[in-house]
Amino acid sequence: MASQAFFFGLFVYLFTISHYTGQDYIEKTVERFFHFDPLLALATIIASRMVFASLLLAAAVVILTVVLGRVVCGWVCPLGSVHQFFAFVFKKTKLLKPKREDKSSLAWKYYILIFVLASAVFTLDVAGWMDPLSFLYRSFAVGVFPGLTHVFSGIIGSLYSLGLSSAGQVFSQFVGNLTLNATFQQGFFIGLVFIGAVLLNVKKERFWCRYLCPAGALLGVFSRWNIFKLRIDADKCIKCGLCTQHCQTQADPYPNEKWKSAECVYCETCAAICPTAAISFPVKAAPEKIGSIDLSRRRVVLTTLLGIAAVPLFRIAPSAKRAHQKLIRPPGSLPEEKFLRKCVKCGECMKACPTNGLQPALAEAGPEGIWTPMLVPRIGYCEYYCSLCSQVCPTGAIKELTIEEKTRVRIGTAWVNKNRCIPYVLGKPCIVCEEHCPASPKAIKFVMVDTKLPDGTIARQKAPVVDLNLCIGCGICENKCPVMDEPAIYVTSVGEQRSEKNQLLLPVIGEGIPPEESGR
Amino acid sequence: MDRRTFIKNAALGSLAFSLHPSLAGQPPAGRQPNLAYITGESPAAITKEAVAALGGMKRFVGRGDVVIVKPNIGWDRTPEMAANTNPDVVRALVEMSLEAGAKEVKVMDNTTNQAKRCYIRSGIQEAARAGGAKVLFTDDFRLKKTTLNGEWIKEWEIFSDFLEADKIINVPIAKVHSLTRLSMSMKNWLGALGGPRNQLHQKLDQAMVDLAAFFKPALTVLDAYRILVRNGPQGGRLSDTKVLKTVVAGTDQVAVDAVGASFFDAKPEELLYLKIAQQKGLGTYEWEKLAVEKRTI
Repeated sequence: MASQAFFFGLFVYLFTISHYTGQDYIEKTVERFFHFDPLLALATIIASRMVFASLLLAAAVVILTVVLGRVVCGWVCPLGSVHQFFAFVFKKTKLLKPKREDKSSLAWKYYILIFVLASAVFTLDVAGWMDPLSFLYRSFAVGVFPGLTHVFSGIIGSLYSLGLSSAGQVFSQFVGNLTLNATFQQGFFIGLVFIGAVLLNVKKERFWCRYLCPAGALLGVFSRWNIFKLRIDADKCIKCGLCTQHCQTQADPYPNEKWKSAECVYCETCAAICPTAAISFPVKAAPEKIGSIDLSRRRVVLTTLLGIAAVPLFRIAPSAKRAHQKLIRPPGSLPEEKFLRKCVKCGECMKACPTNGLQPALAEAGPEGIWTPMLVPRIGYCEYYCSLCSQVCPTGAIKELTIEEKTRVRIGTAWVNKNRCIPYVLGKPCIVCEEHCPASPKAIKFVMVDTKLPDGTIARQKAPVVDLNLCIGCGICENKCPVMDEPAIYVTSVGEQRSEKNQLLLPVIGEGIPPEESGR
Repeated sequence: MDRRTFIKNAALGSLAFSLHPSLAGQPPAGRQPNLAYITGESPAAITKEAVAALGGMKRFVGRGDVVIVKPNIGWDRTPEMAANTNPDVVRALVEMSLEAGAKEVKVMDNTTNQAKRCYIRSGIQEAARAGGAKVLFTDDFRLKKTTLNGEWIKEWEIFSDFLEADKIINVPIAKVHSLTRLSMSMKNWLGALGGPRNQLHQKLDQAMVDLAAFFKPALTVLDAYRILVRNGPQGGRLSDTKVLKTVVAGTDQVAVDAVGASFFDAKPEELLYLKIAQQKGLGTYEWEKLAVEKRTI
C-alpha cells in the first residue's frame, strides 16, 4: 500500500545517500530508521549498559504500538514490505497457495525474542542478525547492491561493445558518482541468506513476519492492549473463510473470538477480501476476548536459559583473550568488549566507506563478531580525511569523529615484509608505499640497503622502514603495494589506540617524541 | 635639432622598428617565445598572461578541437595542501581553450585516492565545470592497449579519451617526490594510464620519459602558485607547502620541468629523468638559453 511504498522508498533513499556526496559531513541522519527500532534499542542498551541518546526515539514506536497495535509492521517496516511484495508475486504466479486453515505455531519468533533479550541481560548482543532493519540494510549493502553494481558494469560493457560509447560513458559516469561498493567477502553468503528469506514466502505468506521476526514479536507483546479491534459483523458473515486464508500474518480473523491482535499488522487484507464487507476495525478500548500467543511456559523458561547459556558459549573464542591481527576496526570504534555489545551488524559503515575497505568479519572477532565491520586493506584502505563510518553508525559502536580527530586515530600498524619487498629482495627501486602514506611527516622512512644479486653484483636501493610512532594503520601502503598477491607491507591491529592490551611500544619515561616529529 | 634631421631620424627609427619588431614588444610570427614565466597575485590571471605571452591560446588550440586539459587530481587533498593542481589555473585554461574555439574541453585524471573525493575536494571539478569543461571520471571500459615504443615501456593501457583528443594541455603542479626527486609535468602522464601503474616505479625515470615522448602535449603549464616542498607527493601540512605565485608555460615539457627544478634549488642535470629526456632529444633542460618571457603582474 501507499504507506509501505513511501517508507520503503525512504529507506532506499537514505541507503543510497549513505556515502560521500560532496560534503565531509553527511547532513541527513541517514541511520534514522534504526533509532526507531525498539528491538535494537532494548538489546543494545541492556547489553552495553549505556543509553545511546538517539535510540530513545524507539520509545515513540513502543507508544504507537501500545495504542494502535502492530501498524509499524504493516505500514512501515521495509522488510515487511519486501516480503509482502514477493508473497504477492508468488501468489499471482501460483507458486504460493495459502492454506485455508493454518495451525502452525507462531511462537518461534517469541522464543527468538526471549533468547535475544535474555542474552542481552548478560551483555551478549545478538539482535543485529535477525533484526529486520539490520537484516535488510546489510543484505542491501553487502549482497543486493553489489550484485546490482556488477549488473551495471555488464550493461556499460555491453553499451561499449555495441559501439554506443557515449551512452556507455553517460551511464558509467552516473554509476561512478553513486560510489557503490561492489566487493565483499561473504557477499555471496549474505546475499544468499537474503534470497533464502525472500523465497520462504513461497512456503507461507510473510513467513519471516509470522515465524521469525523478533522485532515483530516484541511489538506483538506491546500491542495486546491496542485500541483497534477487528470486528466481524455476524449478520453479514457468510463463513467463507477467505479472510483467514489470506490473512498475511496468520492472525486468524475468523472466528472473531480467535483473532490474535498481537499478530495483526493491520494490513486489512481481510477487510478488503471479504465478499460481504463484514470486517471492520472499530475503536474498542475495552479489553475483549481475543486469541493470545500460545507460549508454553516450559519453552519460555528453556529459551531464557538457552539465551543465558549462550553467553559463555560465545566467549570461549580466543578473540576474547588476544586480539586477532587482521581485526582492524573502523576508526572511532569503542574498545572491543564494548564494541561487540553495541554493534548491530547493520552494514551502514560498510555502505558508507568510500574505498569499500570495511568488510563483514567471519571468525576474526569470534562468533559474537560475525558480520561486524573490519578493514581489509587489500580491498580498500581507510581514506585519510574521511570519517563517514563514524557518522553513520546508528548505535555509537563507532564513536562519531570530526575529520580532524580521525586523522589522529591509530587503528593498527604497518609492517614491511623484507622477504617480499622489491628493494630488499630484488635490489630494484620501488617506494610506492611511502609515496602513498598520507601522514605528514610520513610514517614510512628510508634506509639504503645493499642487496646481493645472483650475478655477483650488489645493488643499493632506498628501502622502506615503518615509523611506528607515526603510522596510523590506514592500510593504503598495503593496498597500493605492487606485490599484488601478498603485499610486502601489510597492516595488523597491534597498536590500535582503542585497545589497552593490543600494544607494541612502551613509552619510556624520558624518551619523548618531539611534537614536530609526532605529527600530532 | 632642425626639421630635416628630425624627419631623417624618425624614418631611420621606424625602419629599425620594422626590422626588429621585438623592440616594440611584439614577437614576430615564427619567433614567438616558447617559454613563459609569470608571477602575480591571481592564479587565473598569471595563467592567462602566461598563455598570452606565448602568443595566445589560438597558437595551441584550433577551432573545433576536442581538448583535454589534464591536471593533477590524484589526491584527496584540498587546494591549499598543494597536492593537486590549483583549480583556478585549470579553470583559466578551460576558459581560454573554449574562447579559442575548442568544440569540447574535457578534464580528467586517473586518481590515486578515491576518485569522487579527489575531484570534489581538490576544487577542480567545480572550477572546471564553472569554466565550461566536461569533468569526467576515467572509465576503465575506455582503456585501450596502446603501443608506446618506449625504451622500457613497449605497450600500456591508456584511456582512449587521451588518444582521441585533438590537443592535450598538460597542467601539473610542482612537487617533491621521494623516487624521482621532483614530480612535475613528465610525472603527470601517469594519470593518463590504467593498469598496474605501481609497477612503473621499478624504473620510474625511464617510464616518465617514455610516456612524455608518447604524449605530445600542445602546451605544458606548470602550476607553481603553491608548491610542495616536503612529504611529497601529497604533503599533509601547510608547512609542507611554499607559495611562489608563479606559473610556467611552454611547448617544451623538458624545459618547463627544468624551470620547475629551480624552484626547489635543484639543478636540472641532477634529475635523472631530465637527463634521459634531453639525451633522447625530447627537449632541452638548458632553459636559460631559450627565449623566456618573464613577467610579474
